[in-house]
Amino acid sequence: MLEDNLWVRFLKRTGVGLAIVIAFFPIFWLVSTSFKPIDEWQRFPPVWISSEPTLQNYRIVFAPKAAQEFAAKQKGAISYKVSGSAWKAFGDSAVIAIGATIFSVLFGTLAAYSIVRFHTGGSSYPFQFLVVRMFPPIAIVVPMVVLFSILRLSDSYLGLILAYTAFTLPFSIWMIRSFIEEVPEELEGAALIYGMRPLQAFLKVTFPLIRGGVLATALFVFILNWSEFLFALTLTSGHVVTVTLQVANYVSASSGKLYGVQAAMGTISTLPVILFGYVIQRHLVRGLSFGAIKR
Amino acid sequence: MAEPVRSPPSPRLEMRMGHRRLIPFNVAIALPAQLTVLTVVLVPTAIVVWLSFTDWQPTQGIPWYQAEPVWFWNYYDLFHDARFVAAVLRTLLIVAVCVVVEFLLAMSLALLFLDDWPWRKIAISIIILPMMVVPVDAANAFFMLFNDRGPINYLISIIVGRQFEFAWLADPNWALLPIMLAEIWQWTPLMFLLVLTGLMNLPENQIRAAYVLGASRTRIVLRIMLPLLTPVIIIALLVRSVETFKIFDPVYILTRGGPGAATETISMFMYNGAFVYFRIGYIAAAALMILVVVAAICVNLSRPLKRHHR
Repeated sequence: MLEDNLWVRFLKRTGVGLAIVIAFFPIFWLVSTSFKPIDEWQRFPPVWISSEPTLQNYRIVFAPKAAQEFAAKQKGAISYKVSGSAWKAFGDSAVIAIGATIFSVLFGTLAAYSIVRFHTGGSSYPFQFLVVRMFPPIAIVVPMVVLFSILRLSDSYLGLILAYTAFTLPFSIWMIRSFIEEVPEELEGAALIYGMRPLQAFLKVTFPLIRGGVLATALFVFILNWSEFLFALTLTSGHVVTVTLQVANYVSASSGKLYGVQAAMGTISTLPVILFGYVIQRHLVRGLSFGAIKR
Repeated sequence: MAEPVRSPPSPRLEMRMGHRRLIPFNVAIALPAQLTVLTVVLVPTAIVVWLSFTDWQPTQGIPWYQAEPVWFWNYYDLFHDARFVAAVLRTLLIVAVCVVVEFLLAMSLALLFLDDWPWRKIAISIIILPMMVVPVDAANAFFMLFNDRGPINYLISIIVGRQFEFAWLADPNWALLPIMLAEIWQWTPLMFLLVLTGLMNLPENQIRAAYVLGASRTRIVLRIMLPLLTPVIIIALLVRSVETFKIFDPVYILTRGGPGAATETISMFMYNGAFVYFRIGYIAAAALMILVVVAAICVNLSRPLKRHHR
């Protein structure tokens, strides 16, 4: 757009380079630490990249047997508190995140369709869903613990799925709404002339056009569900363990400084999300601004 | 930005809806979403109103609906609770510092990406990496970075030229810094992406014209780009302020509000009160107060978003 001289261009590239280093370093450190053997965890000056990388940390995270051996060997030096393998956490997180994503996107699509095509509830109706997102969840969590104990939902998959669905619905509705708005209503009108019912017209005509957007929304909601921590922490008590809870368990166990193990759990728990994030990179802006800013 | 299509439902659509139903079709399909939100938000809010007038503690062994009412004493206590007031002020401080720093960093970074150069796309992909990381893991990484023998202290050692070992997270005066840095590190990319998208969508003609007419670079940024960008900036600041206000994950992972209560935010205060000290009635009062304040702010702040959607 504007021409730069060489000096300005050099400064600009340096700035970008610095930003890249800062953005990347903590992640590099997490991954690098996860491959370090125990005697390098705390060395000073720090070991940047281990010269004798090991998978020991991952073994401890995934296999309870390796974890027990490790705890026995390091007795006294390290307090090893976390029991249970990461497989369980991954399974639980997958069930909850996928379940909640399906409900959220399904309900969200229907509601968005109703809002865009029928103006259900008037122009301020969609905003009541946004308010849900703006409330600090902790303020809702305290009575929710009471409600869930009445409904017998505490520490259950269904309970977390319900909570996650409700708190990602604002994203689903607003994102999908912005996709539907881009499809002209006349297309559905034409289908109605051929005798389709409204829902049929929506599913057969509009939906195929916004399928990519709905999929992006689903991945986006999945990322939110997978990353959620507060509800998982407060609405469960040991039976259901999500990935984020498992990470927190390792960090709190590191009062005995289990840096390597903690880094291994951190690395594998954040990987799927980063992958999905890049898949929907084009739609991230739309999602995080509730459909207000489009690319 | 495409102008959303907005016209009243076509008469034909309305005609098809004409046959009688118990619930109109359009309401029926919005119902699942509405009911989910009602169960998870409105019912708990009703419960929280009742609890806030009691001093219910689950450890006393009385069911919650039989709890002793104390009426407005919880609220009276809250206003005289230095720890609660400090948590509120601390949260506001975190919001102010983080959002402003994120915005300044994002804005200056976005200006570096205006022109096209070979590695631009890849550079953007790396810079937005932090926002893809699970927040708990971002905090996890910062926990290790700020460890007393970690890389941050090593960098400082190099700069000051002698061994520097400082337990950041155990010092009441400094523990807030790693928390805020983790938050800024993770969410500057989001702000950057929002601002950059806004900048790329600006009409190029005006900027080119100003350039041809001899306007200086600073003048173009301040007089043309910023004003045109205002709606995007407002949305970015709004979204980030609301999210930062709820800050919990990095605080929990890094310090749990400690040492003492030195890093307690509103969310952390309520978590500790409800799940560590079990003072549910008292925390319910705090929760209700926060809900009312947030709702009031939301009603006013949602206007720019509304305008943008029209």
